[in-house]
Amino acid sequence: MTVKVAYYPGCVAQESGRELDMATRAVAAALGIELVDFPTFSCCGSGFIDEANMTLNIALNARNLALAERAGLNTVMTICSTCQGMLTHARHTMKHDAVVKARVDQTLGKIGFQYQGTAVPKHLLQIISEDLGGAEMLRPLVRRPLTGTKVAAFYGCHILRPHDVMKFDDPEEPHTFEDIIKVLGAEPVYYRGRVQCCGFPIQFVKPETAQRIAGNQIREAKQGGADAMATPCPLCHISLDTYQKEAGKAVGEDLNMPVLHFPQLIGIALGLDPKTLGLPRHMVDPQLLLNKVSVSVPA
Amino acid sequence: MTQVTYQILRNDGKGGVPHFQNFVVEIGETEAILTGLIKIRNEQDPTLAVRYSCRQEICGSCAMRVNGKSRLVCSRLVGTETKTHNNTIRIEPMANQPVLRDLVVDQTPFWDRYRHIRPHLILDPANPLPQGKESRMTPEQVDQFRETPRCIACASCYSACPAVGSDPDFLGPMALAKLYRFTVDPRDAAYHERLEGIQNQKLWLCLRCNLCVEACPKDVRPAERIVDLKRLANQEIGKRERGSKHSIGFLNNIEQGGLLNETKLARDSLGLFGMLGQVGKGFQMMRHGKSLKKHPPIQGLSEVQAIYADLNKPEDIKGRERPVGKGVKGE
Ligand code: SF4
Ligand code: SF4
Ligand code: FES
Repeated sequence: MTVKVAYYPGCVAQESGRELDMATRAVAAALGIELVDFPTFSCCGSGFIDEANMTLNIALNARNLALAERAGLNTVMTICSTCQGMLTHARHTMKHDAVVKARVDQTLGKIGFQYQGTAVPKHLLQIISEDLGGAEMLRPLVRRPLTGTKVAAFYGCHILRPHDVMKFDDPEEPHTFEDIIKVLGAEPVYYRGRVQCCGFPIQFVKPETAQRIAGNQIREAKQGGADAMATPCPLCHISLDTYQKEAGKAVGEDLNMPVLHFPQLIGIALGLDPKTLGLPRHMVDPQLLLNKVSVSVPA
Repeated sequence: MTQVTYQILRNDGKGGVPHFQNFVVEIGETEAILTGLIKIRNEQDPTLAVRYSCRQEICGSCAMRVNGKSRLVCSRLVGTETKTHNNTIRIEPMANQPVLRDLVVDQTPFWDRYRHIRPHLILDPANPLPQGKESRMTPEQVDQFRETPRCIACASCYSACPAVGSDPDFLGPMALAKLYRFTVDPRDAAYHERLEGIQNQKLWLCLRCNLCVEACPKDVRPAERIVDLKRLANQEIGKRERGSKHSIGFLNNIEQGGLLNETKLARDSLGLFGMLGQVGKGFQMMRHGKSLKKHPPIQGLSEVQAIYADLNKPEDIKGRERPVGKGVKGE
């Protein structure tokens, strides 16, 4: 089965986290997901624009959704828990808040858009779990099972909560990511932090606290025996990988924990080329995990 | 009736090592988890310390962690947990508060934060409420804070909050939700003072993780009230605190290119001095192929800018109506 989606990579995958975009393209091709690019998409606001101006935030995201609608596409595929949260929040508000909708409709009308609400934002994790047949759809595609490794999923808040808006998995005890980890041949690590915050939102408010939060999550995954962590959110990836050194200092421990993007983890098990998956672009070398499955990352 | 294992974290409160103890209870799936705890205390171990009172989700005294989630045990049913947890219910005291004994915690830090926000009307002496008459609000005015009066001060949100657990400066979900209620009450005269009083860490350490929204039994949705407060603070106080600088900086950042310019955002949020601390990080990132190569502006940037021109206005900052005036006329 193939699905055609409007591809919403989000800002980070187009700037400091390009490896996420690379891995997504490779994995989508292997899974039969046709990605339609939209050079017109704007930033989702990451929750920060919402703090500065509620209506403007909804309007920016309603425009993003309307762009996909105009192209006749019903799914906007995100690869970031936060983008997924913000786009879904906008769609929810346009459906339930008549006052805001009227204001946004008026503004969008001036630039030639008519928002219909037909395009639904869905994270890649959600597309696999709900539309493509669940984790099992990956089983026949696995070429290099991650047997003998332990992987700790780190969901990222916004794909899960608030549940009455996101309507995906269980907001406090999710399982979709772990289901996939199992099918890929690895053993999931269940730890408290997997549904918690990575600290990113306060990185600029109080870095010490942000880093201590990240450090605690990594340490907990490590205590659970994880060889690597994996996340469907590139902002979590920044906290957990890019700032891991600082996070380690904040909790007084040398963490040395590889952190993969969700599609990278799938890509490795599918036997895709490590370079295509952008694996050399991490702060903490994922080689630690890859040794266990006999893959090497090119320098 | 089925046999359910209650796995309870025991704590003598005298410095002994906390440990799990299992109790097997005969109980129906549609009974409250609290019923099983009372049964254990009555029939198996009278020393088990549990706090509860109303047994109907009103008093807020029975919150604890049930299979890791903050819940009121008088309303959470046995069956909702046993189905997914192998007939086992793991019960721990609430987090973020010191344990007195077993499942009873010392709520002092929670109540201290509540007191800190001055949870009562502060009136303007020059504009007192009308004597001997009702001081009415319109339904629209009440609508501004319709969620917060439902709060029963159970501290489930406080227990679930990772920001509270990581930083003593943060006021926490319940206190902030309550504070919001007073900022939009038209009878209250301390609007500016209240917003000043929660600046920086007290308010801006909220992670927007929404764990409090899931934990709250009364759908107060503290995380959303905190975003409401941040918008009010941005408007009333402006770009002074780091949190405000960051959200307003982000807003302006997107207007310029449609996508986030990470380097520019760091500069706006941290200022030049803060940026110096980030230079080393930049080099580290580059060494790992994480160049901060800026992407070109999006196509259709003019559409985004038209949205800004139309909606970057004070009346659009907040979805709901802004608090109207100060002081309400008596009837
Ligand atoms: S959203 Fe904010 S207040 Fe609520 S639990 Fe998370 S950090 Fe705490
Ligand atoms: S906001 Fe909700 S969870 Fe928090 S104390 Fe009030 S009722 Fe309890
Ligand atoms: S016993 Fe009163 S709320 Fe549970």
